[in-house]
Amino acid sequence: MTRRASSKLGAYAALSAFGLVAALVLGRPEIVALTAPFLLAVCAGLALGASPRFAAEIDADERAVEGDEIGVRITLTALAPIDRLDVFVRLPPGLRVARGQQARSLRLARGERRELELTVRAERWGAHSLGPVYLRTHDPLGLFATEGMLARTPEIRVYPREDTLRRILQPRETQVFSGSEVARHKGEGIEFADMRPWAPGDPLKRVNWRATARRGEVWVNESHPERNTDVILFVDSFAEARGQDASTLDLAVRATAALADAYIGRRDRVGLISFGGILRWLEPGMGTVQLYRIVDALLDTQIILSYYWTGIDLIPQRTLPPNALVIALSPLLDARSVDALLDLRARGHDLCVLDVSPVPFTTRPSSSVDAVAYDIWILRRDALRHRLQRAGVAVAEWREGIPLQAAVEEVRAFRRHARVARV
Amino acid sequence: MTLAALTAYAFSGGDAVASAGGGLAAAGTLALVAGLLLRFPVAVPWAVLLVGAGYVVAHVHHSVVDGWAAVVGGALLLAAELAFWSIGSDRRIHEERGLVLRQSLTMVVLVVTAALVSFVLVGAAAVSATSGLLLTAIGVAAAVGAVAVVLRLVR
Repeated sequence: MTRRASSKLGAYAALSAFGLVAALVLGRPEIVALTAPFLLAVCAGLALGASPRFAAEIDADERAVEGDEIGVRITLTALAPIDRLDVFVRLPPGLRVARGQQARSLRLARGERRELELTVRAERWGAHSLGPVYLRTHDPLGLFATEGMLARTPEIRVYPREDTLRRILQPRETQVFSGSEVARHKGEGIEFADMRPWAPGDPLKRVNWRATARRGEVWVNESHPERNTDVILFVDSFAEARGQDASTLDLAVRATAALADAYIGRRDRVGLISFGGILRWLEPGMGTVQLYRIVDALLDTQIILSYYWTGIDLIPQRTLPPNALVIALSPLLDARSVDALLDLRARGHDLCVLDVSPVPFTTRPSSSVDAVAYDIWILRRDALRHRLQRAGVAVAEWREGIPLQAAVEEVRAFRRHARVARV
Repeated sequence: MTLAALTAYAFSGGDAVASAGGGLAAAGTLALVAGLLLRFPVAVPWAVLLVGAGYVVAHVHHSVVDGWAAVVGGALLLAAELAFWSIGSDRRIHEERGLVLRQSLTMVVLVVTAALVSFVLVGAAAVSATSGLLLTAIGVAAAVGAVAVVLRLVR
């Protein structure tokens, strides 16, 4: 805490000194009478002004979902009377006051404990560090002010609000663990695949008695096993288009959280690659713990300007397992991320792209030359999508306000068509 | 309003000297208004100084001690207190009702006490106007003390 004299103290002291000197010089007692009140105020202020003694701490809910209201409590305990205490809680971008006062002045008696309640609304996902909390005390006459701030303030982790997905993208290949995805190959499972003549070692329970009776020899059923899949969520954090309240990165993070939730719910292994100025990755894993890991990693995702040409060679092998489905969420604004996606496809990864469109965050310029440039930019984006599709990558444009499910269905339709074409 | 009343009082002398004093006081009042509008606390002591100087020019040139000086001193302190309060207050800060009442009460007590002290001083000056040595010594001591306080604050 820093104690400082207010401008009032300096003004009163200067007036007192000047008045007394003038009274002496002019020899008029009236000037002393004019000066005496200010001198009295200075003396009283110096006598009453003491260093404040109090304790303060701030507490808040640590986790919330976008749109939730978060309770913030500031506890103040006075060890000595405080005539006036100003409390100001600074809120980071993404948090806004819903109820209560962000700045308050109050008085505390000796030993009094006061709890100030403030309700803030989480308007944007992220790890928000609350505060700092500024504290300022005044003596009774306002001649001294003591200022400081709380050293430790809580961090609030606001998770993105997720869309509900009824159907998700199915990978072309499955892994070895059991899960909810019907594998292409035949094995132990419950999904009927085919029939074949009996062979030594086939269990009796697999005999198809109807077919056996009809054909005169023993036939058995074959089935597809239910396996899990590996899904890698690839978030492009090289560049974003930002509007007043949202950005392409916000949409990408929300979609990533929704996809991770959906795949984890199917017992699939899900990994994360944040591909941008800072390359971050999370190896595939399954279970609720992995979901929290992914969402926590997403909260730290941010756009960091970088001119470094990052390639997918930097990504560890275990983060990109073979036969994994890679779902990229990208605004397709940076050439590095586009090249990385094409590189992934060239290496045989099962890739699909959700193009988080930056177009709604822009406006078509009014001047003719700029408008032409804008139109060319739109056309180049279309050409880029077609280039990816020619490479066998399913691409769907997704805009704010359109359900994520619609984009997912578009990708599903493309992949269904591509699968037939491959055959 | 307090300073405006003091300005009117300075003008009330009627002669040219009173008009000059009134002019000084009016300038002080305008300085205070400007300071309040611009939220500039440095303007407050200058405004008080000008109004006080206006009063001195207008009324303090007689052989008899002006008894209203105590009231004028209290009024100047009241004006300064209100001005600093106004400049320092921020609408964005929610003040508790009890806090405002207590601050108002503190100010009233301070101003009334200061006015009473000034009355005592004016009375003492009127009674012992001829025994100037003791008064001068006290005045010198007070002035030196006040200057010392200013120097300490500057450091």
